Amino acid sequence: MIVSALLLAGCNNFDDDININPNKPGQASGTQLIANAMLSLPGLSSSPQGEFMSQYLSETQYVNASLYPQSSTSFYGWYQGPLMNLETVLNAEQLSSLEGPVANQLAVAKILKSYYIWNLTDRWGDIPYTEALKGLANFTPAYDTQEFIYTDLFKVLDEAAAQIVAGNISNDIIYEGDMVKWAKLANTIQMLMALRLSEVNPALGREKFTEAMQAGVLESNDDNLVFRHLEDANNQNYWYGQVNVQEREWWAISSTLMDKMKSVSDPRLKIYANPNRTDGEYTGLVFGETEDIDTEKYALLGDAIHAQDAPVQLVTYAQVLFAQAEAAKLGWIAGDDTSAEEHYNLAIEASMEQWGADTSGLEEFMMQPGIAYNPAAAIEQIATQRWVHLFMHGYEGWAEYRRTGYPDNMVAPGGAEVPNRQIYIETEQFNNTENYNEAVQRQFGGSESLYGNVWWDVN
Amino acid sequence: MKKNYAITLLFLLGFLASMPLYAQQTIQGKVTAQEDGNPLPGVSIVIQGTSIGTVTDLDGNYSISVPGSESVLVYSFIGYTTQRKIVGNTSEINIALTEDVSQLGEVVVTALGITRDERSIGYATQEVTGENLTYTKEQNVLGSLSGKVAGVQVTGSSGASMGGTQKIKIRGVNSISGGGEPLMVVDGTPISNSNFSGSSGQDYGNLGQDINPEDIETINVLKGPAASALYGIRGQYGVIMITTKKGKKGSDVKVELSSAVFVDKVANLMPYQNLYGGGSSQTWRTLPNGDKYVDMSVDESWGPKMDGTLARHVMSFYAQDPTYGQLTPFIAHPDNIKDYYQTGTNVNNGVTITGGGANSNFRVSLNDTRIQGVEPNTSLKRNNVGLGLGVDLTDKLRITTNINYAANKGRRPGQGSEDGSRYLGQWFQRSLDMNRLKDYKYDDGTFLHWNLRRPSTSTGEVSNFNPLYWANPYFLAYENYSDDNRDRFFGDVGVSYQILPELKVSAFVRSDTYTQNINSRASFGGTGVSGYSIGKYQNTEMNYELLAQYNKVWNKLSLDANVGGNLYDRNYSYLSMATVGGLTSPGFYNIDASIDRPETNSYQQNKQIKSAYAMVSLGYNNTYFVDASLRNDNSSTLPVDNNSYWYPSISASWVFSELIRSQTMTLGKLRLSYAQAGSDLSPYSTTSFFDVGTNYSTTNTLTVPDNLNNPNIKPSFAHSYEAGVDFKFYEGRVGLSFTYYNQRNENQILNLDVSGTSGYGSATINAGEIVNKGLELAITATPFRLDDFNWDISFNLSRNRNEVVELYPGIDVYQYGSTTYSSTSSYLNSYVGKPFGSLVGQAYQRDEATGKILLGSNNMPLYTDATHDFGTVLPDFTGGFQNVLNYRNFQLAAMIDFQAGGQFFSRSKMLAVRTGLDPVSAATNDKGMNVRDPLEDGGGVKVEGISAETGEEVTAYVDAKAYYGVVGRRIYEDWLYDASFIRLREVSLGYNFNKGQYARLPVENVRVALVGRNLAMLFQNAPKGINPAELSTGSQAIGWYESGQLPSVRSFGFNLNVTF
Repeated sequence: MIVSALLLAGCNNFDDDININPNKPGQASGTQLIANAMLSLPGLSSSPQGEFMSQYLSETQYVNASLYPQSSTSFYGWYQGPLMNLETVLNAEQLSSLEGPVANQLAVAKILKSYYIWNLTDRWGDIPYTEALKGLANFTPAYDTQEFIYTDLFKVLDEAAAQIVAGNISNDIIYEGDMVKWAKLANTIQMLMALRLSEVNPALGREKFTEAMQAGVLESNDDNLVFRHLEDANNQNYWYGQVNVQEREWWAISSTLMDKMKSVSDPRLKIYANPNRTDGEYTGLVFGETEDIDTEKYALLGDAIHAQDAPVQLVTYAQVLFAQAEAAKLGWIAGDDTSAEEHYNLAIEASMEQWGADTSGLEEFMMQPGIAYNPAAAIEQIATQRWVHLFMHGYEGWAEYRRTGYPDNMVAPGGAEVPNRQIYIETEQFNNTENYNEAVQRQFGGSESLYGNVWWDVN
Repeated sequence: MKKNYAITLLFLLGFLASMPLYAQQTIQGKVTAQEDGNPLPGVSIVIQGTSIGTVTDLDGNYSISVPGSESVLVYSFIGYTTQRKIVGNTSEINIALTEDVSQLGEVVVTALGITRDERSIGYATQEVTGENLTYTKEQNVLGSLSGKVAGVQVTGSSGASMGGTQKIKIRGVNSISGGGEPLMVVDGTPISNSNFSGSSGQDYGNLGQDINPEDIETINVLKGPAASALYGIRGQYGVIMITTKKGKKGSDVKVELSSAVFVDKVANLMPYQNLYGGGSSQTWRTLPNGDKYVDMSVDESWGPKMDGTLARHVMSFYAQDPTYGQLTPFIAHPDNIKDYYQTGTNVNNGVTITGGGANSNFRVSLNDTRIQGVEPNTSLKRNNVGLGLGVDLTDKLRITTNINYAANKGRRPGQGSEDGSRYLGQWFQRSLDMNRLKDYKYDDGTFLHWNLRRPSTSTGEVSNFNPLYWANPYFLAYENYSDDNRDRFFGDVGVSYQILPELKVSAFVRSDTYTQNINSRASFGGTGVSGYSIGKYQNTEMNYELLAQYNKVWNKLSLDANVGGNLYDRNYSYLSMATVGGLTSPGFYNIDASIDRPETNSYQQNKQIKSAYAMVSLGYNNTYFVDASLRNDNSSTLPVDNNSYWYPSISASWVFSELIRSQTMTLGKLRLSYAQAGSDLSPYSTTSFFDVGTNYSTTNTLTVPDNLNNPNIKPSFAHSYEAGVDFKFYEGRVGLSFTYYNQRNENQILNLDVSGTSGYGSATINAGEIVNKGLELAITATPFRLDDFNWDISFNLSRNRNEVVELYPGIDVYQYGSTTYSSTSSYLNSYVGKPFGSLVGQAYQRDEATGKILLGSNNMPLYTDATHDFGTVLPDFTGGFQNVLNYRNFQLAAMIDFQAGGQFFSRSKMLAVRTGLDPVSAATNDKGMNVRDPLEDGGGVKVEGISAETGEEVTAYVDAKAYYGVVGRRIYEDWLYDASFIRLREVSLGYNFNKGQYARLPVENVRVALVGRNLAMLFQNAPKGINPAELSTGSQAIGWYESGQLPSVRSFGFNLNVTF
């Protein structure tokens, strides 16, 4: 009878909050979401695949991924992770000004979103952008052309820099809320993007480059976009997990890189690599070598590179200087060779400083043939030194290689040339069929591979 | 047997009764229950061949006028054997009806525990009796159903898993998401059958196994929505109705002891080659002093020939090892994997005591099971206690209770390609001596591993003794184990009141509650960091239930009406923690030992469903029956303004044999039904929330979840149509049941995978339609029924056809799962217009005209991208075949189950070939040379195909390691296998000693039996060593890929049952 009373008591009435998840927060603040999006930054760099694309590292075990197999790579994680968090901030009806000026929160979200999108389009080519991140409103976003994405990102980054007001934001694990640095970063990203257009649209590149430069770019290594890992397993460097925790000796310094560094006694080499364990030499491993590799005989990753709290450098002052050197050489900015040489020298110095190399012999190093600025080979020198500087930032080193063609000693393992892009994940063929087909048709005439060229990669 | 003769006799009498009638007389009497002597109210008494009849009153008394002494009275009552009596010259006929639960198919337990005469039911039912389940002491009740019920597919796991998952699917896959497990109900109490396993690692098994098989009287499988409509939102995927044994009122106390001892042996291991040992090249590696050594850094067997060459083996690099520095012969160890397994034991002891007083009945059971696994250091201990009580407080008021307790304590082996010892068949050296690995720990505490980094090329010594990829399997078994235990109570307390002879009201409080604990450890000295994790999961499900039942017979018309309500309330919570960054000191396994901030989770969940239902069954002349039911469910997990739904069903049966009166056909029945059932979703899926991200220093981060919740979700609906016929011939010696069904599940609630570029990986939506159509055939026969020999056969066969009719607009594919190895993925996808579950992956590129394989410039086969559809994994037919032979006191029973069609992908086989373990990797080619011999000497694998460049036919020989490196990594086409099988699942040979025959027997009855379980695979197309019947991997709803499957286990045992 008690039971019947109970049943009759409330037929379709339940407690109001019975179906509200008590285990998860229902609200998120803007900066908490932004902070989470920042946690994904090292992933843009810390990836064996990126190191293989730029041939910084050779594989020592089960050599396979470095042979450039025609397999797909997913970009979903970037959309579902940092980009969706940033989009949520950008679309939020209300953000709390207790966490710093709302305009600044939005500006940081825009800058980070642009930076992620830029990385993605450089790796895959056309990608969903304007229709992406809409959730229920669009489960099948169309692919935007890379050209459009570049144009739009310039606009968004301008907006972001322009809207910054005085006042720090909280939970900023990159710049501790320093908005001046964010503004410089926004301009720097534009500057590096502009340089990417040196082949496909130099006029636009030049325009955006000079605009960005005037707006104010990174001025020292203190301004770098760098993710600082912690001495804590929850926030540790990827390579620490691989090399120290899993004790993997799967990667050796490639001969490609060693050839460029050892002959000139580059002081960064002692940071980049540990000497081999047979005779203490810095021995590179031929990229794509497959058989019978004794890791003992080769220079493996340097201790500083796989330290638990090793920082991940993403957008750096040295890149700014290399870019300016190249722009001067290209005549985009004033100064010709004089300016180019000056920036080139400063760039190398900034790189040495960033990597913590022993700079006591820097002058001597800079005077060596091949390193000393040579107007006749300036572009190659700038590009090669930039590639040396970008060590471990594989995808960026690879993008610059695709644009410039340097360094000149990249190899083709088993006949497979350095890829020009990455292949879209197969799931797109199932879940976003029409748009996928259209994008592949538009860019590559119907079937994609590692060797289709992205828009800016015209030669 | 006797009973059948009685029926035969009654039939003969029945025919006599159809003779002309003479004079009128009045008969009076009382009908009682044979078992307890209590009067039976409401028993129908009809004069055979007429529509004249009456029913007994509350005291079981009746009075009826009959035309004459030749008249035959038919006494029938639900749950009791119908009796017929010639009136003769007497005026008083007292009848004792015997309860009828054993005679297959006469009375069945239907939804909500309502007992019904089978003939009145308009949908297929198939009941399995407890005796049929316990021949072989299978511990998991769902496993013992395999092959016994038409339309029910059981996918098992290996006995080595220690109580691993047994999965059950009724009438195909009815959910596009692949899920859809039936509800389990024990004596009316729904019990949880959830699962704490992942798709790899320890298989903790389905929780439904907590029911003690010895307690089961019958299992009735409610296959479709028509049968399970009264369960509404919980019954969309069918119901397994379990009724436990009960004591009988007024019976003597009976004590029964049962004891069983089993020995388990690993059976059906994959074959391995024994020509080449560990290494990646046939060229020996040497130490600085010139000594050859076995390359311990390679976990493959592409090394030198095992020809007895003297070499340093891995143990000889351990200074603590007696063979330190010594050269020993490099030889094959053909049984090295087999040697890892040990003989398992399974000891089961049980006691049951049953009995009853004048107004009460009881049954108490105790059971103790102890299993030692075939994998080292694995075990399972289970205790069950069962109590069933019934007391008549007055002659109208009765209280009953069923209480079940189960305690489980397991230490189980991991499964999956990279868990525990599972790598042995995938990444191993044929030259390793398993018996040397057994002593995995030296006296100084150093662990012996076989897979290390190479010795220094300068010193010739190994400097790092941490394992490279794989730890010693014994180290994993004895140091890195996982323990789990579960305490569980389920049962009910009920009270019923017989208001009128026709009307009974009852109320129940039902509960199912458990606490599951799981912890696991990773020791120092293995691969990766040390660690410890612990989880405590608690669940309480309460059901408060009220039911009013009304039964009335007016002459030819019978009415059976039920009205009820139910409140379901489930509270689930867990706490789980894991160390991060390693443990502070060896051997201290505690969250307190975490070096960094440990990972911690707390969770709680509440769900309620409020339901009301009604069911009416009308019968006419015991020939025509119509049932209708309606249920209303309100689920708290649905959106507030849209949470109430109605689920109707209607069914009809026509017992046409009543009209035909054939001598051969005892029963002929036609049945039809239509029903709707539904299902809701898990709590908290209608509102949005954020996930907690990693903390960076003092910054707490939050992130948008990968699944998009939906505030507008509706329950999914299943529409089911069913038609069938049942026949019994020759007094039930031959029975045949045939069913056709069509079940359309629409508006499914899916976590549909969407393009991640939308910002979400999946979205909770109502979408899709999946249709299952099928045929079920069940045949029973007794070809011999002699005085001392009886042979019973039962056979069932079912065929199911499935189609995914619709998905979400713009999305034509539902991805159930994927697996990736070496950057190559394969998928289980469902496509619109095709059956559920297509295996999708990379295939050979083929020449369009000839179908021949296309070869690249190096004569290696070319392959497609990972979108080739290899077709569905669902089987064409499933079924079972059971034989029981009784000769005097001997009984021989054998059970075969089978499946035709279906397929799966075997990663174990692929890797065995790719890593040079499989015989094919060391086969002899058509030139008589080993495929591993140099190409110039006539070695190599022969490839035939068409050059993609030239279009010319090519026959070439290619390097075996390179060839299998491509095929064994990139081309899934080669690793798909037919899942057909015919398995001899159970055989038991028993002998009965009873007091009747052996007067000097000090006890009532003794039964001894020899039993074999999982005895032999009579047929399979899949390669040896891979069991297509044990594809269940933990919680995976669909077994579609095999990866590190535990070896099959064959069991032999001895059973003893003593009844006092």
